[in-house]
Amino acid sequence: MVTQDDNKFNKNIILIIAAVIIFIFLPNFISGYYIRIFTAIFMYATISQCINLMSGYMGYLPFGHVMFFGIGAYMSAILMKLGLPVFIAIPMACLSAIIVSIILGFPVLRLRGHYFAIATIGMNGAIMTVVQNATEITGGARGTTFPIIMASPDVVYRYFYLAMLSLMVITSLVMHVVVNSKFGYGIRSIKANEDAANSMGINTTFTKVTTWAIAALFTSIAGGIYGYWMSFIAPDEVFDLMFITNSIIMMLIGGAGTILGPIFGAFIVETVSEVAWSGFMQYHLAALGIATIVIVFFVPRGVIGTITDKIRNRRIELSKKAEVTNG
Amino acid sequence: MADNDIILDVRSISKHFGALKAVDKVSFQARKGEIVGLIGPNGAGKTTITNLVTGELRKTEGEVYFKGINVSRMQPFQIARIGLTRTYQVVKPLQGMTVEENILVGSLFGRSDRQNDLNHAKKTAHEIMELVGLDKKKEFKVSDVTLPDLKRMEFARVLAMDPEVIFLDEVMAGLNPSEVEESMELVKNIRTEKQLTIVYIEHIMKAVMGISDRIIVLHHGQKICEGSPTEVCDNPAVIEAYLGKKYAKEVIKS
Amino acid sequence: MGLQMFVNALLLGGLYALMGIGFSLQWGISGIINLSYGAMVLLGSYLSLIIFNMFHIDPFISMLFTGALLFLLGAFIYRFALQPLLKGGIVFTLIVTFAIRLIVENIILLVWSADYRTIRVSYAGSNFQFLGAFFPLTKFLTFLVAGVIIYLTYQFMTNTKIGKGIQAVALDKEGAMAVGVDDQKMYLINFALGTALGGVTGTLWATIYSFSPHVMDVIIGRVFIIAILGGLGNIWGAAAGGILLAFVETSGAIFVGSHWQEAIGLVIMVLVLLLRPHGLIGKKFFG
Ligand SMILES: Nc1ncnc2c1ncn2[C@@H]1O[C@H](COP(=O)(O)OP(=O)(O)O)[C@@H](O)[C@H]1O
Ligand SMILES: [Mg+2]
Repeated sequence: MVTQDDNKFNKNIILIIAAVIIFIFLPNFISGYYIRIFTAIFMYATISQCINLMSGYMGYLPFGHVMFFGIGAYMSAILMKLGLPVFIAIPMACLSAIIVSIILGFPVLRLRGHYFAIATIGMNGAIMTVVQNATEITGGARGTTFPIIMASPDVVYRYFYLAMLSLMVITSLVMHVVVNSKFGYGIRSIKANEDAANSMGINTTFTKVTTWAIAALFTSIAGGIYGYWMSFIAPDEVFDLMFITNSIIMMLIGGAGTILGPIFGAFIVETVSEVAWSGFMQYHLAALGIATIVIVFFVPRGVIGTITDKIRNRRIELSKKAEVTNG
Repeated sequence: MADNDIILDVRSISKHFGALKAVDKVSFQARKGEIVGLIGPNGAGKTTITNLVTGELRKTEGEVYFKGINVSRMQPFQIARIGLTRTYQVVKPLQGMTVEENILVGSLFGRSDRQNDLNHAKKTAHEIMELVGLDKKKEFKVSDVTLPDLKRMEFARVLAMDPEVIFLDEVMAGLNPSEVEESMELVKNIRTEKQLTIVYIEHIMKAVMGISDRIIVLHHGQKICEGSPTEVCDNPAVIEAYLGKKYAKEVIKS
Repeated sequence: MGLQMFVNALLLGGLYALMGIGFSLQWGISGIINLSYGAMVLLGSYLSLIIFNMFHIDPFISMLFTGALLFLLGAFIYRFALQPLLKGGIVFTLIVTFAIRLIVENIILLVWSADYRTIRVSYAGSNFQFLGAFFPLTKFLTFLVAGVIIYLTYQFMTNTKIGKGIQAVALDKEGAMAVGVDDQKMYLINFALGTALGGVTGTLWATIYSFSPHVMDVIIGRVFIIAILGGLGNIWGAAAGGILLAFVETSGAIFVGSHWQEAIGLVIMVLVLLLRPHGLIGKKFFG
């Protein structure tokens, strides 16, 4: 039996596949400048997706989450300098980020609300200082380089474009599966009411730490690819909280607690700030600030959140009407 | 009471908040399928006992055995998974979710923790929503339903967890008389249908008297009396501490 | 640690204490982690710079004006940008205060550029000796003034009607509302007061150190640590936290090198969060 829901589901899948195919071939039609912008959008969408899993779904705002971005970037750089190929270096960097997230997760995820957010900021700062001072391994405050890719810039652009695109798509698919699974109900119950969740049989500690590890996994891969893409990284850049504040803004604009939200949010914010950069460079910070305030006030559920709310309310209205006419 | 039917055995538990002995060496037992009423004036320690048994508060002393297992040092989720759970006097809905999802979470987790099939869990949730009369509100967000419905939802959520023992902490507070009647029927029916053991905490005397097989009276954190509804009503200590003579007589007459 | 080190740490600690209190009050009582706090402190510095350059008014006098102005700005921000968002939770207030910070940063960049600025009062170079230690005059004055302001803030919170109202909503919101305290008004005044304290700190800061928009992040990093060490919303706690942080930084710079000092503060903060969430002093509010 094919229900209406199934039909809609199939239509959505076709739309998504079509969009992915378009994006795969898009670099053939646009200049290097736009390829770079899209690469950044995919990267931000990935990080924003991770913030969304933690904050939008689980209610824990990991303000210092950029630590995993930095760890991913630095571990990749170090391992690649030791001669490992990129497809081994980045997974190993990712593994180290996961281990860090689990070790830190047990104590820090006991903290709630503000305290959790601030403790992660503190941890990020501490890790950054370690990276700045472990000069022999990390190159210190002046940063470090990745091996240079021997290829024409055009090829390099496309290489990173496709890498970030794949990362965004895989991240979003995994998030979709996670939040709609039984485990996902556990995650959402923690946001809804952690004590009630625990007394309903949800192992909240395990759920929180695992969720943070998933978020660390994808963020650290983004960090590794970013570092290789930039070919040079410095601590105050890859541990910059700005990555997270931007990702939070993207999540809010697109719609927290939805899977498409962070992707749309990344597109909107990056496009707007690109325009702001080129058009009103002097005002771009203020423009971003004002835009954020406007969004938070007028579309608090974000673009996708507002749309899904509308659809849900229509359904309830319809079912009420149906009830009236039937009864 | 050393028979094999005892499913819950609370052994001399205490909880001190600083100098206050909110619960003071309370022991009681519950048999399979029994409804045990737990009454006492406001602040007697009923909710605190519930929190101690379900692992939400750490005990100052004492042990709790459930199905022969010592659950004294377990976390709430572990206790819930072996079949002991509760509702909250101050409701704790899963905010931001729909009524249906709230109950679904109960059936996904709860005792049948190995329930990994979402569709099967949804079916269970629907059955229970029909049973308690929430099926029309399933798409509502919890912020859009009334307090009696929230209480009903909490009850449904607990049932969806497929427990063996439940603590119902003042589920009737805020209900009107006909709703109370309805709710009492529901509890009784479900007890027989599901072979549940219920520890029933209530302020509405009529409900407790009418529904309980046995009643335990608390006062200032201590158990002052235990027995059948009529025995408890006749007990002078209880009358003095809690019921007031006039009311007690009324209840016995009716 | 030598006597001079001790004096240096103490003098710095006075400023840290004042700076931390404003942030701690806003967080602990109004419930807002104010990411624009560093921007507000800097506004205090730049405002006193304008006043000094245009009217040659000493920062120790113009701080009354910057404090009043920032009080109004804080009240305005709370009323129109934060209060409507409170029920949206931490994400919204965090991101909006961050947005405000971006706007202020942009304004500062436009008006004053990213260059470092200083206010050089005529007595900037003078100092005196006491018990064998050097006391730079401006640093000593900021310490003194900070102490007086902290004391006055404490008196305000404990001995005035409004202060008591703020204390009441902080301890028991429902109870306070039940006896007729207007909770939102209290949160607003408290938030505005916190902003004013930040602004005054900025003015005092400007008499000693040079400043630029970069200082914003340094300030935010410090006030987080101070507030957590002292316990949120606790005036004497934050004061103690400020002085403690100054000592940790000063001695850390000697014993493990100045490039580690930031990490030490942060690690201590995280440890306090995990082990003593009500701060080192442990009592909630006004202890
Ligand atoms: N978390 C707590 N901290 C301090 N005292 C508490 C706490 N919880 C309950 N109490 C006190 O313990 C006593 C028993 O409370 P409670 O179990 O809620 O009573 P009941 O449910 O019978 O009305 C009361 O005096 C109450 O004020
Ligand atoms: Mg109670």
